[in-house]
Amino acid sequence: MGGLPTNRTANGFAVDPENPKVMYVAMRAGLFKSTDAGETWKPVGKGLKDLAAVAVNPKRLSEIYVSTADGTIFMSADEGMKWKRQ
Amino acid sequence: MTRRVYCLCLAMGMVWILNRGPALAQGDHQGSHEKNAAGFEHVHALAMDAAGGAIFLGTHVGLFRSENGGRSWQKVALATKHSHLDVMAVTPDPRDPKTIYVASHEAGVFKSTDGGSTWREVNTGLGGLDVHGLAIDPNVPSKLHAAVREKGEGVYRTTDGGGKWIRVDDGPGGEIKVLTSVNIPTGMGGIFLYAGTAEGLQRNPDCF
Repeated sequence: MGGLPTNRTANGFAVDPENPKVMYVAMRAGLFKSTDAGETWKPVGKGLKDLAAVAVNPKRLSEIYVSTADGTIFMSADEGMKWKRQ
Repeated sequence: MTRRVYCLCLAMGMVWILNRGPALAQGDHQGSHEKNAAGFEHVHALAMDAAGGAIFLGTHVGLFRSENGGRSWQKVALATKHSHLDVMAVTPDPRDPKTIYVASHEAGVFKSTDGGSTWREVNTGLGGLDVHGLAIDPNVPSKLHAAVREKGEGVYRTTDGGGKWIRVDDGPGGEIKVLTSVNIPTGMGGIFLYAGTAEGLQRNPDCF
């Protein structure tokens, strides 16, 4: 389970309900995605920082939402590749 | 290059596996606390209902709901006797859009069965009311796990939608930020619980 920053708080966590091997972790350093049930992780969403939480739309699984610690919401419609501020 | 380090955390005979990776670049710091224009002060949780229509935001100043993808928010009244609620977790039922659970720092677990219009406390059996994580089983939504801090600290389980809680485990090391049941079979008859903590991401079979 490599690829997540060491000794840093995992603030938020979300899973694709149809494919639970796809999961997201929200941290101060940004958003991290795994497609192998957490064995490996890669950062997604360049520029996203200070994240407190993440959620997957259960009806549109490619739609991901994150919140910063102060409540600014960003949404991705393509599983975390591109993001827009809400 | 990544390296893989597995750390075993023993808790009441069960094993929480700590996810470790490469060191983070300098500049990442923890602990800042800014108040934004909307006044949330600090966000703890974000979740969508089962219909994919409403977004819920758990914050230091209560629960908020958005119907437009997070562009605007309406405060959700949870209980009249608590003037201030720090909402630590928002856990929608994955099959029933009208059923939503919320965990709070001050008053334990709340449940709504009408989409968030009315709420009731479902704390029977919890050893304390400071609940920092709340996970719902995606296969059996009447089964939930709650992570309690401070008084009565530990992981509690209900199998009847919050009717009664039973303490089942000490929980992972480090302050729990989020707790989620993930539909990945353990091979021992259960699925995995993932915990986001101050020490990183950990997981444990939920069959304790």
